[in-house]
Formats: sequence, structure tokens, C-alpha cells
Amino acid sequence: MKQEHVVVARYGELWLKGRNRPQFERVLVQNVKEALRSITKCRVERATGILVVHPESRAGDVARRLTEIFGFSSISPALAVGHDLEHITSAAAQVLEQAVEGLPAKGKITFRVATKRAEKRFPMTSTELDVHIADNILGPYEERMVIKLKDPELELGVYVRPEATYVFAERLPGAGGLPVGTLGRVVSLLSGGIDSPVASHQAMKRGCEVIYAAFHSYPFIGESYMAKIRRLVRSLARYQPHSVLYQVPFSEIQVAIRDHTPHSYRTVLYRRMMQRISSVIARREKAMALVTGESIGQVASQTLENMSCIGAASDHLVIRPLVTFDKSETIDIARKIGTFELSIEDEPDCCTVFQPPKPIIRGKLAICLDAETSIDVEGLVQAAMDGCVREVIE
Amino acid sequence: MQHIYLDNAATTALDPAVREAMLPFLGSEFGNPSSRHPLGVGAREAVDLARRQVARATGAEPQDVIFTSGGTEANNLAVLGLARAAAKRGKHLLIGATEHPSVAEAATALQQEGFEVERLCLDSGGEVDLQALKALLRPDTCLVAQMLINNEFGTRYDIPRMARILRANAPQALLHVDAVQSLGKLQLSMGELGAHSLAISAHKVHGPKGSGALVMAPGLRPRPLVFGGGQERGVRGGTENVAGIVGLGKAAELAELHVNSGAFQDGRLRESLRTRLQEVPGARLLDPGAERSPAVCAILLPGAPAEVWMHHLEQRGLYTSVGSACQANKQGIPPALLALGLDEGQAKRVLRVSFCHTSSEGELDALIQALQAIERELGRLN
Repeated sequence: MKQEHVVVARYGELWLKGRNRPQFERVLVQNVKEALRSITKCRVERATGILVVHPESRAGDVARRLTEIFGFSSISPALAVGHDLEHITSAAAQVLEQAVEGLPAKGKITFRVATKRAEKRFPMTSTELDVHIADNILGPYEERMVIKLKDPELELGVYVRPEATYVFAERLPGAGGLPVGTLGRVVSLLSGGIDSPVASHQAMKRGCEVIYAAFHSYPFIGESYMAKIRRLVRSLARYQPHSVLYQVPFSEIQVAIRDHTPHSYRTVLYRRMMQRISSVIARREKAMALVTGESIGQVASQTLENMSCIGAASDHLVIRPLVTFDKSETIDIARKIGTFELSIEDEPDCCTVFQPPKPIIRGKLAICLDAETSIDVEGLVQAAMDGCVREVIE
Repeated sequence: MQHIYLDNAATTALDPAVREAMLPFLGSEFGNPSSRHPLGVGAREAVDLARRQVARATGAEPQDVIFTSGGTEANNLAVLGLARAAAKRGKHLLIGATEHPSVAEAATALQQEGFEVERLCLDSGGEVDLQALKALLRPDTCLVAQMLINNEFGTRYDIPRMARILRANAPQALLHVDAVQSLGKLQLSMGELGAHSLAISAHKVHGPKGSGALVMAPGLRPRPLVFGGGQERGVRGGTENVAGIVGLGKAAELAELHVNSGAFQDGRLRESLRTRLQEVPGARLLDPGAERSPAVCAILLPGAPAEVWMHHLEQRGLYTSVGSACQANKQGIPPALLALGLDEGQAKRVLRVSFCHTSSEGELDALIQALQAIERELGRLN
């Protein structure tokens, strides 16, 4: 077997799953293939506890891309060789040379070789191999390298496995979580703000495939609002293979609420309608829950009272991943996942149109229900569904 | 007379598919990407698509692509913008030995602002002298600029290695890579290169002139050179050149496809040229460095200056160049030729032949035949 640049990705929580594991692995392989399609051609191999990606080129890019895919605990670009001791040692020397070039040029470096030997037919024990490799590759760096078995700055990993031996020095942290699509589907209510994209991302992290519902009050707000929503969905599309966006016309509903209900309840009532429509979408898409970006007390509509009123509008489970997050925590994640810059683009959304001067803080469900008798809830939901556009975004 | 165009390092023919992609934006789709009506939204989406295409072709993230008026502005923006933004950390710059004037002159201009600029050198093999690089790096080095592919000889410099050396010896320093000659010739990847910024140009890859981009590593923000209405994340003001940007995006996408096909496959055409030049007495291919672009070839010719050869070739419908078109009128021996041990007389006899993905063995045949004929003709004059 000749030397090959591969990327080794270690399963995260997936490893703990019992009988479902093969199915989880299949989904993960699919997600990985989909994510790497735009980078390079590659072959994905399932081995015990790890995935091995064999890219035609751009192994470094492949490794970095895999850090965004849910289901891995860590990722290493590696050299794959056979079981020949000389080949393993030579690969180790190459990996070490590259790693050292990227470390501070002066001062001591603590170092160790860490062999894991899953191929028990290999004639040396892990410790013997550690010592053999270290003895044979440290020559050029003898003055600088200090062996340290606990928390060294540079750890050269060697996995001796039945299919190949992998040698690596880098360990990129994985995204954790579970493969998107293994835990079912959810409908996420997406606004142009900072929270809902983060909430969607959190749902994906736990293995949920996210379908987006966005509400468009045209012509009170422009087409550029939906363009912003599409940009957000596209930016989140890197975390799941396929993204479906429902664009729901919402102005008729907002006008009806504005004209026929107490103005302090407007925002709560808009949101109840959004929740209802999202429930219809969820049934159509066989999704099992709704996801919102609500966080206790963040805005007037997100008090416990109002969240109860809004949640009561649908019989679907409502998941609020950010419910106890501070705004700053949400912003940190938004920056990390690349949605923050898009979210803060100046664009009005449908909740800022017809915003009441004094929104209710502690809404009562009875008043919501009473107010809704003045509008044709079912007819409006039906009309919104009739007018909605389902779009697949790559 | 039908001509054979072998000057693709100077510029390239517009690809019909690129023209096709651009046309709507020279016609009915004239919206301003900042407008919020559908015409504006359409223009914005077109610009965003181009951003993704460029990002994909360079292994970067779409939000890190800044569109510019071409490779020159992209290089200017990197050198001036990144150095000024990093000035607090130090005012020492290192510039590659063979940099294009859009890098070198920008660096010279920075000297007026108190920056200290030093040049890297090439070793005897024509590679960047890495020992010298290590010695030149300082705690206040803020930027190192090095081209990826030499625009005159095709040497492909070892950027990943330079990046590792920077990380180890001057982790504060940014690495800017002029990749104007590299897009479409080899697979570009910011991550693999270890670069912080990358300059590309549309017209070198069958796109329109007047369109290029600076592609950056996440989180970098150069000081603007052009101030305006906040376009390009505030880094480059001015209403976007939508048609040009769309052309760049399409050209970048196609360039990526051409990397592993046609004339560039395994450097096939370059190898043919090397072999076939044996049929022209006194001529040979110059091969500086360990790795070379399949597209840019320098030929050392016998007798007359390359300029004379060039005009004799052009008379026969073959377009080539002497030095790069940007530097053709300048005096002096390029450092890359010096590194090859060429004397002044020889340096004047270097002809550049540069291919594109459609260049063929047939065109190479025509070139060799023409060179043979010219050699006989010029030989008689002596």
C-alpha cells in the first residue's frame, strides 16, 4: 500500500449508540459526502469508531470542512500507510517534520508518540512501537524535543488498524452532536434576526433536519427581506445536506390582526398565527416539532406569559434551544457559525411592521382566544398555506 | 490570417459562457445591488452567487471575498490595506524577489508611511531562499508578500512551506499570495497554502478585464483604499461592477474545471514543448525551481534578442511575449533569470509562451515550425 493523504474523523456521541449505530453511520457518511462534494472528489470509508476520507486533493480543506459536520468528536489530517514498520516510521518522520515547521522555532518542545494498536496481529506492542518510532525520527530534533507522556505540546498519533496505519500530528476539534437527519425533522421559524439561525443550528446539532418557515409581509416589507432570509438559509446549508424554505405570505394576516384585535396583543397574535402555520407545514413535511429562537425575557413577546400564549397556538412540541441563553452567548455562536454578519444587515422584518406602541408584557391566553374570534383564523391560515412557496436551497 | 494566441499570461480570450452569464447585467438586469426592489435584489443575488463561485475556486468562505477592479487593486489592497491595518503590530514588510509591480510598488509607497520594506531572494535553484526568509523575519514583520506562480517563468513557489516558517518564526505576520497566474492552472486552496490573502484576476482566466478579487482568511479586515457606501463589507466602496463580478464568478468556476483537464493535465503541453524545442537548434526551455506551472514557459533562444523573435513569430500569426507584458519595457535582468545563472545577453533572449486550457499540440507544432524557420532566417543574417 502506498502512502496516501487521508482525513481521519472520530465519531462523537454516535459511538455510544447501540443497535441504531449502523443507520447513524450511514447517514453520517451521506452527510460527509454531500459536504465534501464542492471541495474535491473523495471516497469515504467506514472503519470501527472512525470514518476515513480519501480525498483526491485538498486534504487540509476536507479536514476543516469536517469540523463543521455534526457527529464527530475530532478530526485529523493523516498519512495512511500499510503495516510495514519502515513505511510507518518514514510517514511519522514526514508528519513530524511538517508539524515542527509550524511550531515556534526556538525553545524546547515536549513530545510523545501515542500508538493505538487495533490490529492485534501487528508484531509489536503499542509501547514498543512508540519507542521505535521516537528513536528513529527524533534524530534531527534531538536537541529540541523533550519526551513528555502527559499533555505534550506535540503528540504524534499512530493508529495501527486492520485496513491501514494512520499517522497524524494534528487534532482539530469536531462539531460534536449527532448526524443531521438521524433524529427526525423540525420546522424552524426563521426571522432575519440573530437568534433564529442559531436556534436552527442548535437543532441540527442534535441530529434534527431543519425545514425553515419565513413570513413575508409584502408589500409592507420588500423582496430584499426574503433575499436576506435566503442568504441566511444558504449560510446554514453548510451544516445540513438539503435545506427547504417555506416563504409564507403574511401581510393579510397582519392587516386582519391590526384592524380587528386589541393593539397591545398584536405581536403575540402574529406569533400565534406563525406557530399555527408552522404546524401545518410540519404536518405536511412530517416534522415532529417546531423550533424558535425565543429566550426568556429578551423582548416583550418573550416573557413566560407570552411564550405560553404563543406556544398554546400549536399542538406540536416547541423546542426553544436558546431559552436560557444571554444575548451575548447567542451572538458568540452566531459569529462562530457565520450567520451574525448576515443577521445584522439592516432590513426590517414582518414583526417590526405594525408594531404596537405598548405591547402587552403579561399576555393572557383567554384574551388571545377572545381576540381571535374577531378574525377568521382558519381561513387566514389556509390562505397563507395556499400562497406559500416551497423552495429548496443548496 | 488566423492567429495562434500563446500569450495567455498577459490576458485571455473571453469565454463565450462567461459572456453569456454577463449579458443580462449589461441589459435588462441593470439594478444596483444595494436597491431593495426586485431589480436590486436580483443584482445582489448575482453578486452573491459570484462570491460563492470565487470562494469555491479558492477554498475560502464567501464572506471573505472582496471584489476589486482587478488583480492590481487586489494586490494593492492586500499590501496597503493589510499592512496599514496591522501597523500597530509592526511596520516591517517582506516582498518576494519577483513580485509584480502591483505588489512591489505598493510596498514602496508604504515606505513613505514609515514602513520598512525588504526583499526576499531566490536561491540558486530558483526557489525562494527559505534560510534567508527565516533570517529576515522579525517580531515586527507585519506582512510577507509572495507570488505563487512566477508570471515570467512559471516557477511554482513553495507557499505552504513559507507559511509554516512564518507560523513558527513570526506568527504575527500575514502572508499575502499573488495568485493571478495560478487560478485555473492549479487547484487553489487558502487553507492548503496557509495564506492569509490571495489576489486573483478575471481576465487571466477567460473572464472580463477590470474585475478581480482579494480573497482572505476569516476575520481579516484590510483598511479600505476606496471609501464609499459600505459595499464589500465597507472594505471597498462604490457600486459593484455587477457584470464584471458575474463574469469573474463564472470564469472562476470554469477555471476550476480546467485545472485537471486539457492542456494542463500533468503539464503535458509544457513537457511536449521541452522535447520539441530540441528540434530548434540552440533553443531550450528554462526550468527554474522544483515545480512549475503547466501554463507559463520561458524559452531561451539563440542569436537575436527575444523581441526580434517575437515580431517574426507575430508575422506568422503566433502571439507570444518578451518578459511579462506589464514589465516588457523595463530594463534589467529579472532576479529569476539571474538565479538561473543567465548573463545579460542571454536574459534578452528569453521568450515567454503561455498556454490556456484550449492550447493544443497542433498549436505547438506551428510554434516549433515557425521557430525553425525563423532560426534559419535569422541565422543567415549573421
